[in-house]
Amino acid sequence: MARPIAILKALGTAYRRDWTALQSLTGNNFFLLTLFLLQQAGIFVYLIMGLVLLFPLSTDPLRKIPPSRLALWPLTRREHWILRVASPWINPITWILAAGAIWTAGRTVSAGLWVVVAGLFVVAFALSHVPTPGRTPMWRRVPGIPGALDQLVRKNLREILSTLDFYCAAILSLSVLAWRLFGPPLPREAFMAMTVLTVGALSSYAQCLFGLDGEGGLSRYRLLPVRGWQLLLAKDAAYLMALLPLALPLAPLPALGGALMVLAVGHAPSVEHPSEQTRWRFTMGGALGNGVVQMIALAMTVSSIFSMTLWFLAPAAAIWAGSVWWYGRALERAM
Amino acid sequence: MISCRNLTRRFGDFTAVDQLNLEVDKGAICAFLGPNGAGKSTTVKMMTGLLAPTSGEVRVCGLDPTAAGLELKRRIGVLPEDLGLFDDLTVEEHLLLTGDIYGVSRADTKSRTAQLLHALSLEHGRRTFAAACSHGMRKKTAFAMALLPNPQVLFLDEPFEAVDPVTAKIMRELLQSVARHGVAVFLTSHILSMVERIATQIVMIRKGKVVWNSTVGELPQSLEDHYFDLVETPVVEELEWLGPSRS
Repeated sequence: MARPIAILKALGTAYRRDWTALQSLTGNNFFLLTLFLLQQAGIFVYLIMGLVLLFPLSTDPLRKIPPSRLALWPLTRREHWILRVASPWINPITWILAAGAIWTAGRTVSAGLWVVVAGLFVVAFALSHVPTPGRTPMWRRVPGIPGALDQLVRKNLREILSTLDFYCAAILSLSVLAWRLFGPPLPREAFMAMTVLTVGALSSYAQCLFGLDGEGGLSRYRLLPVRGWQLLLAKDAAYLMALLPLALPLAPLPALGGALMVLAVGHAPSVEHPSEQTRWRFTMGGALGNGVVQMIALAMTVSSIFSMTLWFLAPAAAIWAGSVWWYGRALERAM
Repeated sequence: MISCRNLTRRFGDFTAVDQLNLEVDKGAICAFLGPNGAGKSTTVKMMTGLLAPTSGEVRVCGLDPTAAGLELKRRIGVLPEDLGLFDDLTVEEHLLLTGDIYGVSRADTKSRTAQLLHALSLEHGRRTFAAACSHGMRKKTAFAMALLPNPQVLFLDEPFEAVDPVTAKIMRELLQSVARHGVAVFLTSHILSMVERIATQIVMIRKGKVVWNSTVGELPQSLEDHYFDLVETPVVEELEWLGPSRS
């Protein structure tokens, strides 16, 4: 038993160190927005966030050990079985589900929901063992744009698609689309609110635009003969390419104005206080103040364009362009 | 092509590079040798504009790397210590990115990409993402990126480490070929046998100071012996816990 226990202990340590998912949630603008503003309605949004979180959290802890290493260790068949049975219990989600199941025993109303959640957990757990067909996962198959920044934009778009923020925004957008297709007509103001929510779901990412580039990527930026504003432009182009399709069932032009403001505010923390991010997690923005300013700028811009005139798009674009120029220079100094 | 005058870099009280003087001519292959922590990477960073010197002067292609950063970057190719690759780009996309950014035409980029992928045996992995590449593949990708824009000076930090012998030979021949075309090559390496075959100039550094600078022909003994005499002497310890020798 000594060998499986030693491996399980090491797995536990590795899992605890990687347990950034819930921490990331609390540093995310979207979480703060729903916490402070939406109150009761926030439960629906938390359910979406919970579902999005469930998948990466449900992965099999045993997969943290490289298969070649696991095969090389002198373990008996019995010890392999012990590891297989015991390792899922390192994942806190297993314990939360077990506690939920015990708590709901006898409560017919909520037991079904727990079964659904447990089913999703099992599906995600099993999916983490299914080999990906082909060499390139779907989320990496993205189009480029014409021009010298093509490959940088493509790379940046892939980075956005490997955060949970995007999928949270996508669920919000798709739920509106489904409602528009199959439900009763939505009040006009609902589009504005959902636009703010959807752009808000992606707003924390705008505060850490370089968070997924890694040390190698940052080192390459320093070597490339490009200006700082070009690097920011490539980041922003990818951001808009990810966001605007999601805004199509909502209010696209107010979403564009809001996104430009979110990016304009986000350049400062992205350049001056870069923070490393983890893939398949919600992104953690910079200081709380940045998030608050972003959300206020977003709500004001979206509501102005939506309720008054499209001309408000012009100052939003001007502020964004100024921010790209200013923080582009700051980026060159920082590099 | 590369000129250093009393180049010095301090980090607090620690002097990483101390009064370094150096000249590398067009078409030369200069091997910059020294143990880990001797100041090799710091020197390369100062030459490529990634780090400002504390004092002294450095010129590459006649330009001051700190003042003319962007202009210099267009003229040099660099294989950095950490390779500088993006996890979310494939091997081929890294080369296309390099062509786009350095202003190489699309047609030239494609033909150079094809040639480099073929020469470095990267064709089979051209669509592999950098994150999924072996260290050797990553090294070859970064090497190809340094060569693709046809630079005037090449800076290569440990180019031969972690690549297979055939690729190392191909890389060596490619470097000799670019040097014949007038490119100055400045490389660091710990593989002395490879250095002895490729370099035309040898510079040894120890604790931030240059302790040897000559052409290969001027070495008084084999490179390995000279290196051990001047820079560091290997100390081999017996591992007692291995037990008595059975041979």
